Amino acid sequence: MRDRAATRALVLGLLALPFGILAPIAIWTGASSLRRIRSSNRELTGKASATVGLVAGVAAAAFFFAGAAYWWLAS
Amino acid sequence: MTVPRLAAVLLILLFGVCTYPGADLVSLAVRLTPPPAVASGAPSGSLPWLHVAHPEGGPPYIADHQGRLVLLHGAIPGGLIDYWSGTDPSRTNPPPFFPIDPAAYNGRCPNNYAVIGVPPLCQEDLAQMAALGFNSMRLPLSWSLLEPERGRFSQTYVDRVGQVVDWARALGIYVIIDMHQNAYSRYVGRAVPPPLPNGDVAQLGYNTGAPAWATLTDGLPSEVFMGQREVNPAVLEANSNFWYDRSGIQDEYIASLAFLAKRFRDDSAVAGYSINNEPWPGWNLPPGFEDLLLFPFYRRVIDALTGVRDGLPCPTHIYMPAVCGYPDLDVHDLRHLIFLDTGLLREVTDFPTHLGLPVSSYPNLVLALHAYTHVFTLDHLLHQQPEKANYPWGGFDQSYALAEREAKALNAALFVAEFGGPSSTDSLVLTNQLLEQERHRVGFAFWIWKENCGGWAMHDGVSCTPGDISPQPSSGCLRAGRERLLARVYPRESADARLSYHYDAGTGAFSLQVHGRAGDPPTVVFIPREVTGEVNASGAVDQLVTTNPDGSRLVTDSPTGGAFSITVTPAPLDVIPCV
Repeated sequence: MRDRAATRALVLGLLALPFGILAPIAIWTGASSLRRIRSSNRELTGKASATVGLVAGVAAAAFFFAGAAYWWLAS
Repeated sequence: MTVPRLAAVLLILLFGVCTYPGADLVSLAVRLTPPPAVASGAPSGSLPWLHVAHPEGGPPYIADHQGRLVLLHGAIPGGLIDYWSGTDPSRTNPPPFFPIDPAAYNGRCPNNYAVIGVPPLCQEDLAQMAALGFNSMRLPLSWSLLEPERGRFSQTYVDRVGQVVDWARALGIYVIIDMHQNAYSRYVGRAVPPPLPNGDVAQLGYNTGAPAWATLTDGLPSEVFMGQREVNPAVLEANSNFWYDRSGIQDEYIASLAFLAKRFRDDSAVAGYSINNEPWPGWNLPPGFEDLLLFPFYRRVIDALTGVRDGLPCPTHIYMPAVCGYPDLDVHDLRHLIFLDTGLLREVTDFPTHLGLPVSSYPNLVLALHAYTHVFTLDHLLHQQPEKANYPWGGFDQSYALAEREAKALNAALFVAEFGGPSSTDSLVLTNQLLEQERHRVGFAFWIWKENCGGWAMHDGVSCTPGDISPQPSSGCLRAGRERLLARVYPRESADARLSYHYDAGTGAFSLQVHGRAGDPPTVVFIPREVTGEVNASGAVDQLVTTNPDGSRLVTDSPTGGAFSITVTPAPLDVIPCV
C-alpha cells in the first residue's frame, strides 16, 4: 500500500521551488513519510516520491533562505 | 536508474533551474559580474547625463556628470496616456482621444473635454512645471499607442514623445519615460451584466497599457471585485499571459521599448526609462512573481536595451524562466537610467514583497518606489481613517526605510516614482511623504499633474457634468495647498550625498547642512518664487544667489573645506492667486 503522505511530500516539494514558504511543510511531510515507510516492514511504498519531496524541500529552503539572507546582508 | 526515473530526475532539475535555485545562482553571477564600461561623456546640450553613483559602503544615488547627488522633483502628466474616453460606457474600444501628431501641439493646444480622464499635455504645462521648480517629469506612455498593431511601431507617437522631450530640454527638465499601465489595458472588455457572483461592472476609464492584440483574456469575464480595477478575472488572465510570454507578447513589448530607446539613445534630457508601471502579478503570488517573473523580465529588457549579457541565452517568444537573459536588440544604450517599479502589491503592504535578488550588472538602475501609505495600504482597504490607522506599524517611514534596503540589495538608487492621493488628506499624507523623502534624500514624481474630474491632481479639475461634451480649459486653478507643499526649497545638486535638509511648507523656512572639501563642485539650492525669506549661509562656503526672471532664486554654494549650512528665514508664502 502506498503512503499517501509520500505523494503529498512530492507535490509540496515541487511547489516549494517557486513558493519557498512551503519548504518546511515539504520537509516535514517527506521526512515523516520516509519514517513511516521504513518502519512498515515493506508494507508501505512511495519511498522515491517521499525522498524527492524531501530533497526538493531542502533545496527550496536552502535557496529561498539564501536569497533572504542575501537581502539582510546586502541591504 | 530506469529511463522514467532518469526523466523524472531531469524534469525536477529543470524545474529547479526555472525557479528559486536557478534564480539565486544567476543573481549571484550578476552580483559578481563587473559592470560594463559606462561612458557618459561630456554633457551634450543643456542637461548633463545622469547616472547612478555607487559609493563604497553607502547607498547608490542618482548623480550628475560631476558625481553630485541629484534630487529630481517633478509631476506626472497623463496627456500621452491612451485612456478610454466617451459618454457611452458600452463602447469599449473608442479610438485614441487626443491627436497623436505633434503638429496639433505646435504653438497651440487641442481642446480639452471632460469625456476623458486627463487633459492633453501642451507646452504651457511644462512652463508651469518649471515655474514651480520642477526639474523633472515622469512622462507616462501607452504601449497601445506605441505598437497599435503587432510589429508596427508608431513613429508619430515617438515623435510626439520627442516633442515633449524638446519642450522639457529647453526648460532644463529631465524626462523619465514611463511605460505606463493600469489594470493591464483598456481593451480587457466589460461584461454587462457581470456573469460571476458578487462582481461589479468594470469601469474602464483608468485602464490603460497594452494594445488590443496583446490583451489575451482567454474569454474570462471582465468584471471587478472588491472595487479594485485590478481584481478582475480578465485583467488577471491578461497579466498572467504577459508574464508567461504567451504568443510572444512580452517580446513585442521589449521590441517596442527598444524602438523608443533608439530614438532617445543620445538624448541626455531623457533621464531614463521606467520599464513597467505598477506591475500586477496576475494569478501569480509574491515573492515568486517578483523574483521569478518580474525582475527577470526587467533583466531581459536591460539586456535588450544596453547589450549587457546577464542571464543565460534562451529561446525567445516562449515562456522564459528566471535564469534567462535576452538578445542584444542593437540599441546599445549605456547612459540612461533604468527605473524598476516594485510590484503593485508592495504599495498595499508598504513592505518588500520579494527577496531583492540582484537583477543586472548594468550600474544605472533605480528602484522606483510608489509611496501610497494610507492611500492604497492595507489599512485603507480595511476602511480605516488615515489618522487612526493601525497599519503600517512603522508609520510612513516603514516603506522608505525598507525601500532603501531593497534598493541597496539590488545595487540600485532609490526614487519615488509616484506618490499622491486625494487633496483632502494633504496635511497628513503629503506632508509626511515629503518629510520622508527629505529624510531619505530621494526625489519624487507627483501623481498627477492635471486631471479632469478627480481630486488627486495638482490643479482643480474642470466642469464634469455628465453628458457635457463642450470644450473645457485644460484645468482649474493650481491648488494652493499643493503649491505650498510641492513648490519647495530643495538642494538640486550636491557633492555631499549625506547632506541633511528640511523645508517647512507652513512657514517657508529651510535649512541645509552639508560637508564639503575645497574644490568640490558646488551645492545648488532652488528657491521657488513662492518662498520669500532671506537666504543665509554660514561655515566654510562661498555663496552666490541669483534671481531668475520669474522671481525664483538659485543659490550656488562652493565649499571651501568643512561644514556649512544654508538657511532661508520664515516668511509668508506668495502663492499664485486663483482667478
